[in-house]
Amino acid sequence: MILTGKKIIEEVKNNKIEISPFNKDRVTTNSYDLSLGNTIIKYTSKIIDPKSKPSYKEIKIPKEGLILKAGDFVLGYSNERIGSDFYVPLIHGKSGTARMGLFVHITADLIDIGSHGNTTLQLYATLPVRLYPNMLIAQVSFWVPFGKIVLYKGKYQNSKGPQVSKSWQD
Amino acid sequence: MILTGSKIKEEIKNGNIVIEPFSSDQVNPNSYNYRLGSTLKVFRKFDGKKALFKKIKIPKEGYILDPNKMYLATTKEIIGSSKYAMSLIGRSSMGRYGLFLQCSANLGHTTSEHKWTLEIVASLPIRLYPGMIIGQVSFWKNFGKAPEYKGKYGFLNHPQESYLSFE
Repeated sequence: MILTGKKIIEEVKNNKIEISPFNKDRVTTNSYDLSLGNTIIKYTSKIIDPKSKPSYKEIKIPKEGLILKAGDFVLGYSNERIGSDFYVPLIHGKSGTARMGLFVHITADLIDIGSHGNTTLQLYATLPVRLYPNMLIAQVSFWVPFGKIVLYKGKYQNSKGPQVSKSWQD
Repeated sequence: MILTGSKIKEEIKNGNIVIEPFSSDQVNPNSYNYRLGSTLKVFRKFDGKKALFKKIKIPKEGYILDPNKMYLATTKEIIGSSKYAMSLIGRSSMGRYGLFLQCSANLGHTTSEHKWTLEIVASLPIRLYPGMIIGQVSFWKNFGKAPEYKGKYGFLNHPQESYLSFE
C-alpha cells in the first residue's frame, strides 16, 4: 500500500515520516517533491573498481546552472533530509525531469526503513540538460511494510550532501 | 505492502520465498542483497533481426565493462516466490557508480523461480567481480488471487537474450 499525500502530511506531523525542510505545497497526491542541492560529485577514477576507494571531485552548481552532456553521470543530493522508521520510501524522477531524459537514480529506488539523511541522487543524462540549484527534480513515495521492522544501521546513515559509493567497505 | 527483512526470513522458512543460496547477512531492512553470477554475455553484433552475444566467464580478477553497452548476466541465486510479487533492482552502492542492473523491467511475477537475467548497463567503466553483491530484490504482498505463472523466462537459469524477435 502506498501512502496518499494527505497521509504523508499527517505522518510528518506525527513524526512518523521525516521530510525536512517540509513544505505542504510540494505534496502531490502520492508523493513529495524533492529539490536538488547545490553540490554535485564527479568521479575522477578512470575505471571504477568496487573493491577500492574511488577518487572524485565536488563541483558547485552555479546560480545560472550547470550543463550535463549526454552520457554524463554525476551524484547530486536532495536538499531535504528524508526517512521513516515506519514506512519504506521509494525515490522516483519527476515526470518533467524524465521528459528531459534525466535519470535521478540508477536502478536503486528503494530506501531502507530507518535510513535518514539527504538522499544521494544518481544523475545520468541521456540528452544535454542544465541543472539548477534547488530545482524540483525527484519525488519520494512511502509504502506500508509487512512484518516486524528492524531499522537500518548501514554505512550511509545520516548522509549530508552527495555521498560516493562505499562498496569498498563491503 | 512490502515485506520487511524479518518477514522475508520467516517466509523462506515457511517455503513461500525461495532464495538459494541464502545467507542471513545479506538481508536488509526491506530487501535481500543478491550476488552476480559468473557468466556474462557480451554484445557482438546485430544481425538485422536480433543482437548476438558472446558468452564469457567472468575471471576472478574481474571484467571491465565499457560504458553505454548492454551486457546480460544473472543473479547467482535462484530467487522466487509462490506467494509474493518481486521487484529486482540494483543497490545504492552500485547506483552511485552509475551501474544499471536492469532496463526498466524490475517486476518479478508471483510463482516465477529462477536465476534472474540482469540487463547491465554501465555509465562509467567499471570492474565487475563474479559473486559480488550487486543488487537487491524486494517482495510485495499481492491483492487478489495469484494465477499460475506460465511465462517464457520463468524457469531459466542462464543469462537469456530476448525472445521478442521470434514472436
